[in-house]
Parts: sequence; C-alpha cells; structure tokens
Amino acid sequence: MRGLAIKDLNKIFSTNCGDVTALKDINLDIKKGEFVTILGHSGCGKSTLLKIIAGLESASSGSITYGETKITGPGTDRGMVFQEHRLLPWLTIDENVGFGLVNESKAVREKLVTDHLKMVKLDGFHKAYPHQLSGGMAQRAAIARGLVNNPEILLLDEPFGALDALTRIQMQKEILKIWESEKTTMIMVTHDIDEAIYLGQRIVVMSAGPGKIRSVINGDSYESKDRGSLEFARIKKQILGYFFEEENINPEYMI
Amino acid sequence: MNKKVNNLNVTGIILPLIILLAWQLSVQSGMFPPAILPPIGDVARAFLNMMESGLLVGDILVSLTRVLRGYLLAIFAGVTLGTLMGTSKHINDFFTLTLNSIRQIPILAWIPLIILWLGIGEESKVAVIFLASFFPILINTISGMRSTPKGLVEVAALYKLSGWMTFKKVYFPSALPQIFVGLKLGLGISWVAVVAAELIAASSGIGFRISDARSMMEPDVMIVGMISIGVLGVSMDKALTLLLDRITPWKK
Repeated sequence: MRGLAIKDLNKIFSTNCGDVTALKDINLDIKKGEFVTILGHSGCGKSTLLKIIAGLESASSGSITYGETKITGPGTDRGMVFQEHRLLPWLTIDENVGFGLVNESKAVREKLVTDHLKMVKLDGFHKAYPHQLSGGMAQRAAIARGLVNNPEILLLDEPFGALDALTRIQMQKEILKIWESEKTTMIMVTHDIDEAIYLGQRIVVMSAGPGKIRSVINGDSYESKDRGSLEFARIKKQILGYFFEEENINPEYMI
Repeated sequence: MNKKVNNLNVTGIILPLIILLAWQLSVQSGMFPPAILPPIGDVARAFLNMMESGLLVGDILVSLTRVLRGYLLAIFAGVTLGTLMGTSKHINDFFTLTLNSIRQIPILAWIPLIILWLGIGEESKVAVIFLASFFPILINTISGMRSTPKGLVEVAALYKLSGWMTFKKVYFPSALPQIFVGLKLGLGISWVAVVAAELIAASSGIGFRISDARSMMEPDVMIVGMISIGVLGVSMDKALTLLLDRITPWKK
C-alpha cells in the first residue's frame, strides 16, 4: 500500500526576467487514504505543486511516484478540483460531471453521474447549465466531476476560496463526509489556516520565494477538528508563528 | 421579455417612417425632379412590375446563388484555417504575415485581376465574394479560438481528451459566438462584393440591374434593387442571429 512519494522535486520557470524557482527540494510522502492540506501564501508554489502531481505541469528535477509508477502526465487515478469551478458553460451539469467518462458506455456513464450528483446533493439539477447554479452548487458539481471516475487521489486547488464564509464551512463539512465514505486520498491546497487545520490530518506549511516545505504539522487528533478547542488554537498559533516569525520579537527586548 | 422585443420593434420603425415621410414631402414640394428622386408610388409600381415580370426574383436568385457559393466557400476555408491558426502557434506564424498583407488590399482592387484570370463568368463573381468574406470569418475564428479559457483546456488535458475531442468539446463551442460575429460581417461584405462584381461585369443579378437602370435613367428600378439588397441582408443577418441562439442554448 504505497502512496504518493514526492522526491527532491524542483520547479524552475523561465521568464523574461530570468529563471524563477517556484519549488525547491520538495520531499513529501502521502499515504493512501490520507487527507493532507498544503498551506501557504499566494505565490509560494503550492498550486504548481498540485499541478505537477496532477500531471498538468512537469517538474524541472526530482520525481513523483504513485504506488510503483512514476507520474509523467495526467491520469484517471487522479482527479482535480480548481478554485474556479471550470465547468464547461455549454454542457449541462450531467454532461459536465460525465465529461471525463469518454470510454464508458452510456448506461454506466448515466449511473455514475446520477450517483455522484446525489453524493454532492445536486440531484434534480441534471439538465441545468452551470450559469444557473450558485457558486457553491457549481463547486459541488466540480467535485462530482473530480470524483466520478473514481480516482484514488483527489487534488483540490483552493476549491472553496471563492465561496462566502458560511458556504465554505458547509462545503468543508461535506468534503470530510465524502472523504470518510469514499476513502479517496485528498490533497488540498489552501491559504485559509482554519480550513487547513479543520480538514488536514497533516498540514504542510510552505514558505514562499522559493517555495519550500517549512513544516509538516500533525492535525489528526479528534480535538483539532473542533474549531473552538484549545488544540485548534494551539496549532493555529504555531502556524501563524511560521508565517509571521519576524514579528515574534522577544518581549524582553521590547521594554 | 416579449414586451421588450415589441418595444424595440416599435422604436426601430420610427426612423424608417420619418425617412419615407421626408422622401414623400420632398418629392411633393418639387424640391427634387422625379428623374433624380422618384415618388414612392413610382418605386412601388416599379417593384410590382418587376415582380410580375419575374425580373426581380430572377435577379435576386442569381445574386443570392453567387453570394451563397462564395460565402459558403469562405465559411469552410475561414473556419478551417482560423481553427488551425487559432490553436497552433506554428501554423499561425506560417500564415500571418502573408494573409495580413493580402487582407490590406481592397476587394475592388482585386476585381480586374480576377476578371483577367477567371473571365467574366460565375467563377469570377464567386471568387470576389469568397475573397471579401473570407477575412472577417478567418480573423474572428482565430480570435474566438484564442480566447478559449486556458482553464477549460486544462480540464480537457486532465481527462486526457484527444486533440479532436478537445476541439469539439472545448475550443469550438467556446469560439462559436465569435465565429458568428465573423459570419455576420462576412455576409454583409458578400453583398457588397456581389454588387461590386455585378456592376463591373455581368449581365444579370441585382448589381447588374441597378447599373442597367442607371443607363436607362430608371431611378425607381435602382431604388427597388437597393431596397431588395437591404431587406435580404437584414433577413439573412437575423437568420444567423436566430441560428446562433438556437445552437448556443447556454447563452440565455
């Protein structure tokens, strides 16, 4: 049961103003069935990392293996949900959810689509177009599309970033439920500290310029899933410490 | 919704009525002699005569056939090449300089050479129409293909869709509204081109009829010809709008 292994991964972008190192020496192992959140500033390369895992971008050096196979491009073992729902405006919701099921028979496709729309509580919206849905509903449809061909890993790139605060909390609860029932490995990139703690069994904290893994925090205790608990506050303080350490001047010298 | 459409139509009809009224008044007041600006009645009579003799329908059919032949060829070539140029940088780089240079040449400047090469038969008219309507269709197809959101193309890559399927499911529907902008512009220019070609070298068609009426001093026939082109052009443009609405139900 080997999961995802990221080894000595580097990503360098060539731009007009020279080379920019987006990711530097990333090493991370993710177990099957694990929920990992990756937390960092905008521009710390966390989305790039996710895209490399998805196979949409290639690494400059290093490797990612899943099980025994090296990842070199997209594959149906990995699904992805983006910050924008990225549903195709010209397809109805059921066509969108079934978008990746090109090799399935019509009957199988219909059944899978119906099941997954039910899972994200969108039954009854089969024939709607994306623009007729609210932001939260569209993102649910995107999650259904990400899960419909039963991937072993679901990559979530700030999927709730554009939703209002209440819808976001609702969606976080639902994604946890889906994770518990489907046992899909979830890797979620976010810049929302609360979200990272609430969802992640492990929280990978990244720093920017170049993007590096700063720390990996264990957030798997029962307590850390309660936003009001002391444990939650402790982890949050620890994470804030990483991001704003230059402000943590020793009080003794302040007086 | 319906009410709005009705309002729009009523508003749109005011100006034509004013123009007709001004026309009638200026003729009645003797400001223009009938040989320069014929009374509306004369034009209506000319229209009825031309309908009765089958002359008008015949001319329209001849011109319409020419337009459709050149225009459909231009759609085929423009959308195909535009798709290739809009989705492949290499193909785009290969063609852009050449096509951009050719595009600068006004269609009227082409007519002598086209007549030299293809004679004064149907081929030369179809060629003129093709050349005139090809560029707006091409350019709008390229721009439509290019403005396809990269995020959606990425989704297709994520599901490992083939090049053809990515075109069919992502690029083409995304570019469709912009392609139709090109189709409408191309259609308008097709009518310009057919009349231009028929004015210069033809023995039939609406453009020929207008030019013939000039030498016969029949301004009423000229005006009937002009109005016919206007009405046909508007109807075909409207038909394209309806067609676009029909094939893009997600736009509502």
